Amino acid sequence: MIQFENVGFRYKRGPEVLQNVDLEIPAGSFQFITGASGAGKSSLLRMLYLDAEPSSGRISLFGRDVTTLTRDEIAWFRRRIGVVFQDFRLLDHLSAAENVALPLTVAGVRESAYRDNVTEMLHWVGLGDKMDVRPPELSGGEKQRVAIARAVVASPDIILADEPTGSVDPAMAERIMALFVEMNRLGKTVLVASHDLAMIEQHKLPINTLQGGTVVVGTPKKRRSA
Amino acid sequence: MTTDTGTAPATSTIRSKGALIPFQASSGGVMLLIVAAMAFLACFALAGALATTRIAATWTDGLAGQATVRVDATEDDRARRISLVLDILRDTEGIVDARALSERDVADLLTPWFGGTPDLGELPAPGIVAVTLDPLDEPDPSVVQARLDGASAGAIYDDHGRWRNRAARAARAIGSLSWWALGLTIAAIAGAVFLVVSIAMSAHRGTIEALRLSGAEDRFVANLYQKRFFWLGGLGGLIGSGLAFAAFAGLDALASVRAALPMLDAPYYWPLAWAGIVIACGGIALLAARLAVMTTLRHRG
Repeated sequence: MIQFENVGFRYKRGPEVLQNVDLEIPAGSFQFITGASGAGKSSLLRMLYLDAEPSSGRISLFGRDVTTLTRDEIAWFRRRIGVVFQDFRLLDHLSAAENVALPLTVAGVRESAYRDNVTEMLHWVGLGDKMDVRPPELSGGEKQRVAIARAVVASPDIILADEPTGSVDPAMAERIMALFVEMNRLGKTVLVASHDLAMIEQHKLPINTLQGGTVVVGTPKKRRSA
Repeated sequence: MTTDTGTAPATSTIRSKGALIPFQASSGGVMLLIVAAMAFLACFALAGALATTRIAATWTDGLAGQATVRVDATEDDRARRISLVLDILRDTEGIVDARALSERDVADLLTPWFGGTPDLGELPAPGIVAVTLDPLDEPDPSVVQARLDGASAGAIYDDHGRWRNRAARAARAIGSLSWWALGLTIAAIAGAVFLVVSIAMSAHRGTIEALRLSGAEDRFVANLYQKRFFWLGGLGGLIGSGLAFAAFAGLDALASVRAALPMLDAPYYWPLAWAGIVIACGGIALLAARLAVMTTLRHRG
């Protein structure tokens, strides 16, 4: 489903922050990406949600080389990918419910068809009583959960999360991870980027570590002891 | 899917996509003012273009099918020469009728230049023959002149062609300027919308990014802007053209313009013309907004 072959990435004309990345994530799997700050986790995710193109190599998504996609195809692919951004990227002028409904709205789904789904999703993330509240009035953790609800509401095939537990307390972090596990049980491919090794190791799931601009399998600690 | 607080029935209404872009009321007001002003000017440009077109047609049609023959002769010989000219003209293909003007008719023609009723006995006034031409088969002026010269009639044939052509050229030039003015006004509306939309898109960058990452196609984003600017353009057109029509209807100083405009001569055309201008303003704004959005999105990549 997701395949990186010898992928490199650079910002404009700068040096490559990622080099020779080979990565294969089968459909329906749950994997982590970890690495130090600035290791390129977010860049790797950006390429996956088609917000950035590789400077070299090939990325295959749903069996297609992403560099060959037209603009309309990119939009269509993005509807199959739910993303939880590190900075949430919620729209401040919309309510929590409207933010969650965004992927359905842009897909042309009628409000009457998705209203119950959005309501259920907000209850699922524990924000059933904050449907009409706008993001500036929500805490960091609440924003994070709205972003998660938005990422999964359209039932995408792939869920990408960039530091989804970075701005919440441990209890909330556990709950968020439980949400992802549940999504994975429903058949979704989940890829979580995080530098929280303790949290990652709790889950006993495949780990891809970004180190020196490329991906190595396993946690940094395991590799050290190997 | 489990919930931690239980699933409550959906009581809130989730807003429609019309509110996805946080448009500023102030920018809408500016846009409205610009389009209204441009629509007002466009009406005058359109009126000018239609008026000059009609005037040109009136001048050329009015003089078409007519010619004049001037017979230079002494008073003693004038009647003979005029009779000779009439015979030649009536025998010429493409001439329907030829009629000698009476002294009274000639005096009337000269009145504007001499004042009162001039005494033709004291003036070297020529004899004048009015000629009616077949509009579908006008004779070649040089052929007619050659026949008159051949008979030594001392007559000069004039089909007003030179005057007709110059008058029509002048009217067409003024008409062209009016059409250009109308075109420039339309271009100004489109340019203003393009600029305002481009500026608005910079302000809405984060929102547009969120929409695109949620799977919005370019045309979805364009539709959000198109709708708003169609209505703003239409409303601006309604206000601007409404003021222009009020001016056409109400100002005596524009009576000559009104007389030259078929649509203003016939008031039942007014709603149609008004609606046309309103729809045109909305349509131009819509197309300019779409172009601005598509250009900006493609430029951003």
